[in-house]
Amino acid sequence: MRRKGRKQLLGTWVCLVLGGLFLCSLLFLPTQALARNIKVGIIDCYSGPPAVYAKDALNGFKLALKDINKRGVLGKKIEFTTRDTKFKVDIALNMAKELVMREDVDVLVGTINSGASLAVSEAVAKKEKVPFIVWIAKSERITGEKGHKYVFSTGENTAMAGKAGGVALSKKPYVRYWIAGDDYEYGHAIANAAWRNLKKLKPDVKIIGKSWWKPGEPDLIPYITSIMSAKPDAVIFCTGGRSMTNIMKAIKATGMAKKVPIWIHTATDHAVLKPLGAEAPEGVMGTMDYHFYYPDTPANRAFVSAFKAAYGNPPGFPAFHGYITAKFIAKAFRKAGSLNKKKFVNAMEGLKIEGPTGQIEMRSCDHQAVLPMYLGVTKYSPKYGVVISSNIVTLTGNEVMPSCDEIMKARQKK
Amino acid sequence: MAIWNKKSFAFSVLLLICLVILPFFLPRFYTYILASIFVMALLAMSLNLVVGHGGLYQFHHCVFYGVSAYTVALIITKTPLPYWVAFVAGPIVAMLVGFFICWFCVRLSKLYFAMLQISLGSLVWALAFRWYSLTGGDDGIHGVPMPEFISSTKSSYYFILIVLVASLIVLYLILKSPFGATLQATRDNPERCEAVGINVRRHQLVALVISTFFAGVAGVLYVILEQSVFPDLLFWVLSLEIFIMCLLGGWFTFAGPMLGAAIMVSLRTFVGIYTEYWTLVLGIILILLIFFLPEGVMGFLLSKFGSTPEQADNGGSH
Amino acid sequence: MEAGHTVTLAAMGSHFFVGLSRAMILFIVSSGLSFVLGVLRVPNIAHGSLYMIGAFSAFAVSIVAGGGATGFWLALIVAPLVVAAVSFIAERSLFCRLYEREHLMLLLFTFALMLILDDLVKIVWGAEYRSIMAPDFLKGSVTIFKSSFPRYNLFLLIVGPIVAVALWLFTNKSKIGKIARAAAVDREMVGAVGINVSWVFAFAFVLGCFLAGLGGALVAPTVSITLGMDHDIIIEAFLIVTIGGLGNMWGAMVGSLIFGITQSFGVLLWPQFAIVFPYAAVVIVLLLRPTGLLKSVW
Repeated sequence: MRRKGRKQLLGTWVCLVLGGLFLCSLLFLPTQALARNIKVGIIDCYSGPPAVYAKDALNGFKLALKDINKRGVLGKKIEFTTRDTKFKVDIALNMAKELVMREDVDVLVGTINSGASLAVSEAVAKKEKVPFIVWIAKSERITGEKGHKYVFSTGENTAMAGKAGGVALSKKPYVRYWIAGDDYEYGHAIANAAWRNLKKLKPDVKIIGKSWWKPGEPDLIPYITSIMSAKPDAVIFCTGGRSMTNIMKAIKATGMAKKVPIWIHTATDHAVLKPLGAEAPEGVMGTMDYHFYYPDTPANRAFVSAFKAAYGNPPGFPAFHGYITAKFIAKAFRKAGSLNKKKFVNAMEGLKIEGPTGQIEMRSCDHQAVLPMYLGVTKYSPKYGVVISSNIVTLTGNEVMPSCDEIMKARQKK
Repeated sequence: MAIWNKKSFAFSVLLLICLVILPFFLPRFYTYILASIFVMALLAMSLNLVVGHGGLYQFHHCVFYGVSAYTVALIITKTPLPYWVAFVAGPIVAMLVGFFICWFCVRLSKLYFAMLQISLGSLVWALAFRWYSLTGGDDGIHGVPMPEFISSTKSSYYFILIVLVASLIVLYLILKSPFGATLQATRDNPERCEAVGINVRRHQLVALVISTFFAGVAGVLYVILEQSVFPDLLFWVLSLEIFIMCLLGGWFTFAGPMLGAAIMVSLRTFVGIYTEYWTLVLGIILILLIFFLPEGVMGFLLSKFGSTPEQADNGGSH
Repeated sequence: MEAGHTVTLAAMGSHFFVGLSRAMILFIVSSGLSFVLGVLRVPNIAHGSLYMIGAFSAFAVSIVAGGGATGFWLALIVAPLVVAAVSFIAERSLFCRLYEREHLMLLLFTFALMLILDDLVKIVWGAEYRSIMAPDFLKGSVTIFKSSFPRYNLFLLIVGPIVAVALWLFTNKSKIGKIARAAAVDREMVGAVGINVSWVFAFAFVLGCFLAGLGGALVAPTVSITLGMDHDIIIEAFLIVTIGGLGNMWGAMVGSLIFGITQSFGVLLWPQFAIVFPYAAVVIVLLLRPTGLLKSVW
């Protein structure tokens, strides 16, 4: 018994020493890129369903860099490195810390997962004082109650989308609403934001029922059947990326859009409508902050054709966000005149850039990009061979964003 | 009960000294990764108490880890209680939940034990995921403040190391005690144990509760390190990963799971830097290990360092 | 916590039917898992990944065949065969060498296989959402009990029992099916009688994976085909197999019905916590009958 224990312990400690040496040898792993260019570290989910959005954002970012690096920023180029978070918050934290502590990046960018964005914002951006630009995640808490000096957002958030929906629906005569969606933070946030604004503008509306399903739930038909049998005046669906295709399919299969008016944020998103082809349901109201076909300005057309030429398909909203993120980073460094992170952050506040859809400002009170919302109805377009948004109404950023006072109050509360 | 003898004691002290002085030479990131390995190592060790040494199919161990982490985060952020209350409450709550869940599970055996635990564990996960007002839902709770003395990378490293070593000593003592020997007997031959008058179920339940306690300790350490909690900590995929760490490292050995944890975390971090297909790499490495190192990495190394009588002993207990 | 609107008989009826059709897919997938579990005594963690490959293959075949009805039927035939081929390769090259080993090693192998297949799917098909449509004759819905019920779900209600009967005939009436069932109960005896047990295992594994692929191909027109599909289905399949009785095909049917219908009714009665219903059902079953509802093969 005694000898066995000793051998076992001996073996154990030898292994641990070997393991330790192995770890130390990793010290000599080269960090990518040796010349001191501007380094951007991107954490995002490149596996699983969200990967399509992450790739789109990265492509938009790369497209912008092509032009930016021709001119250079402060005599240097902007380079980037990516890390796959697999939609897990703990991996996102690990990777963000690796990028900041080991790769020594100047700016952190990412991701689609709201939980991961909030975690990284607090534990890495705020703590290590590294600027973090969130480009797809839609939680309003990122620049709202949990916002701080080192976090920015170049994407729209649930407060903005909800207000757009609320404003749009308040103009309609519907009174009895059913609210349904993915049972996670995003779904509830959209629901709350939309309802809050709708009720304020049209006090006589009421909720006759709610349904929540697990995000990514493949079988939404029973829920739709249930909702339709309650005969609401209109339905608000609060579905996230994973369930969008499923809900659109279910709507088409049950013919719901012909019977009940529906509003869904991102219903008019090309990434959702494209795989469905001609089978996407028509007549669904949706909001989006970017369409490659609207506004049909020279700037947008140029962006779209460059993107198509480089990546084979038209850009979606993540590509748009990725593109403007790159432009913000470049202009902010130029304005700051140095790589100092504090100066970068100051330069970003109130910064205006020229995007494909016009001028975009980074609001200084909350570090949220001021983005317009495009409200439309799905309709088949023979020109593009898919269903797109039609009868588009634009709501400017200022119409949909919470005021600076509301943001400051929310931040005070915690 | 002579556990320590001069050689292995010297080795342990030497390794410990290495780990203690490393942060002064390593870049901050490596200190952080080592600390994360320590947390995972403790979690894997707590699992192995009942899997490797107890023969139980604990397929959803991380529920207890996650519950403890959430307890700590909730107490610190939502109540005015001092930090140490949170740190102590975490493992205690984990133990209570562990007792409750495992009390049901022990009545079943093998795969059914596993399935029931997965179902009950998933219910807990669903609760954390949907109860926004309390748990922040899928956003989680972030920016949990920590006391000054453990908030920097280095200081949290040392704190975690101290707790890890203390826990390991306790676990080792438990395993080498009569209780531990009986536990291994229930793994190898439960019928004979019953015949000799040992209440196998009660024994297993006690072991499970102990393992959930240490899982809870690991949960506390996680919050100290990352200052965040989120529902992923309770998800079955993490449980499966910890299980694999035990198998990978060698589940019949004492320190095998720690090695398994070190391998998985390092692979995930460092391979992830170079390619987004690191699960593919991990899968291939696992297959190589299955074929060439079936006793787990630790088992393999022990068979190299151990002499035949020990191997026969180990072999007999399989 | 909303209970929703008044529960009408019509609503209950339509929910029952939808739950039933969902149960059919669950049955096809979990019967494969159950079969593998019965004969090889190993829970195949990669089962969900094979289901996902089935869905992606159906997509690929459907695109190549130009969509429409031919594309659909072709996909239903070819996709499961593709999955069967993949599983055959994995089994003959690597898995079969592990049969003499510790059970947990087999489990570990299936886990490694899942990791590899997941990334392979990403490499081959990329990360985009894919979608295929049901053929025209199965599109749209019919009105049953005053609510719309998609035609495709009716199709599933027909296909499910056909597969069940075919499987039963195959395992009970065909020679190889009977050998497989014998091997599940007593592999040593089967070997002693002179049958090559390794090939029996190969057959069982490939058949199980074929069923996973078939499930994936059948479900493809109703959902978005994405990279996370395997994680969704694998836990459900495992739970169903456990409550049904390990290795028992009819058990898989019973388990799937319980799962599908409790989920559907959960949606009707308590939408917010509908997810809890099937798990609660599993917990109740396991507490009352720990070995599963029907007799397990071992």
